[in-house]
Amino acid sequence: MIRAVKVCKTFKTTDRREVKALVNFSTHIKKGEVVVIIGPSGSGKSTFLRCLNRLEEIDSGEIIIDGVRITEKKVDINKIREDIGMVFQLFNLFPHKTVLENVTLAQMIVRKRKKKEAVDTARDLLHKVGILEKENVYPSQLSGGQQQRVAIARALAMHPKIMMFDEATSALDPEMIGEVLDVMKKLAREGMTMVVVTHEMGFAREVSDRVIFMDAGQIVEEGTAEHFFTNPAHERTKVFLSQIL
Amino acid sequence: MKFSRRSLITLVVLGVIAASLYYFFSTRGVTYIWHWEKIPEMLFYHGSKSPEDPTPRLHMGILMIGFMLTLKISIFSIFFAIIIGTIVGIARLSDEPVTRALSISYVELIRNTPLLVQIYIIYFFVGSLLRLSAFTAGTAALSIFAGAYVGEIVRAGIQSIHRGQMEAARSLGMSYAKAMRYVILPQAFKRIIPPLAGQFISLIKDSSLVSVIALADLMFQGQQAVARTYYAFEIYFTVAFLYLVMTASLSMATQYIERRLAISD
Repeated sequence: MIRAVKVCKTFKTTDRREVKALVNFSTHIKKGEVVVIIGPSGSGKSTFLRCLNRLEEIDSGEIIIDGVRITEKKVDINKIREDIGMVFQLFNLFPHKTVLENVTLAQMIVRKRKKKEAVDTARDLLHKVGILEKENVYPSQLSGGQQQRVAIARALAMHPKIMMFDEATSALDPEMIGEVLDVMKKLAREGMTMVVVTHEMGFAREVSDRVIFMDAGQIVEEGTAEHFFTNPAHERTKVFLSQIL
Repeated sequence: MKFSRRSLITLVVLGVIAASLYYFFSTRGVTYIWHWEKIPEMLFYHGSKSPEDPTPRLHMGILMIGFMLTLKISIFSIFFAIIIGTIVGIARLSDEPVTRALSISYVELIRNTPLLVQIYIIYFFVGSLLRLSAFTAGTAALSIFAGAYVGEIVRAGIQSIHRGQMEAARSLGMSYAKAMRYVILPQAFKRIIPPLAGQFISLIKDSSLVSVIALADLMFQGQQAVARTYYAFEIYFTVAFLYLVMTASLSMATQYIERRLAISD
């Protein structure tokens, strides 16, 4: 489903230093697989997600999604993005649109669905994430957890083949993390291909097929969540896990 | 309506100022005979215009005719200034260096030369080349002038929208143009209503400059009326009041729109 081959990405900071975010990063994610990426801040996990839908352009290497080499210039990236849902740390709901409009907008102007079809799809998904009663409310009137669930519904409404979560629970108050994770778990059990950047090891243990530990733009160690809990091999992994657990 | 103590004090202070001004002028022996009674017929009059059409009717007087032209030229100019400004604002943020440079040059060129000079250039040079009417030339000059300022306001508005909005829109598969139209610009415009209102109030007042190219706007008709009657004080007070009617209505309209749009905050 997703294959990354020797991906390199370097950022220039404002004081012109070069920061290597991804260094010859290679991995393969199968259809239906739930992959959790963990690692210290600045290790390149979010950059990897953002390269998968080309919110960031890579410097070298290649990324192939569903048989399409998306890193080539002539690829219609908008078409690719329709099939990759993304959920952000800060939700990024459209504040001038109601909850329902947030979920229907892209369906209508990108997928070209009729209004009725878009609204039906949106209501189904809002019901699924448990927030249907708020459909006519503006995002600013919702709690963080509610906003993030709407954001998930908005991404799902495009019927994506892959869902990416970029620290989706990091900006939430502790008591709201659960409701968002529950939605993500439900999605994982339904067989969605998911790439999840998170520090929630409980989530990783419960539903992930594989955990990747990244540091300095490279994979340090990967394996099942159980492996990370019981016998992590590298010293860096142990130090990191002792900090977040 | 409830008057607070503060507004009462304001009224008293204004009253004192008005009284002392009146005292100052009356003791100076200014013997001006006011002819306010001549003003209403400059706004509206009942009568027949020409011998061919003898039945008396209600007609607009000279100042009202000027008022309507100023209103018309302001509305047209505001409309085109919004279009020009939106294009210039977006171009200013383009990744394409040439587009960006063009936008910057336009803004700097227009902002750093006097409007009066621009009106003359557009009317006498461009206007005679393209055979533009005075109205078209005046509207063009005002739109181009205000468009440069609106462009800067729009740019600031777009930049004030969080980067995540564009990323969210693009990650849903929207093109840059669609993301701009449906996600970024609606939010940006809501945010820039106050500075835009200020800009358009300036535009209405600046439109008085088109009287120099013999466009019969409110200012021009006022000058004509003064030349004919010598009632300079009454006429210019009335002209000022008529400009105030337009600008104050615009202020109130924008405040209303702002309140309406505030529901999603």
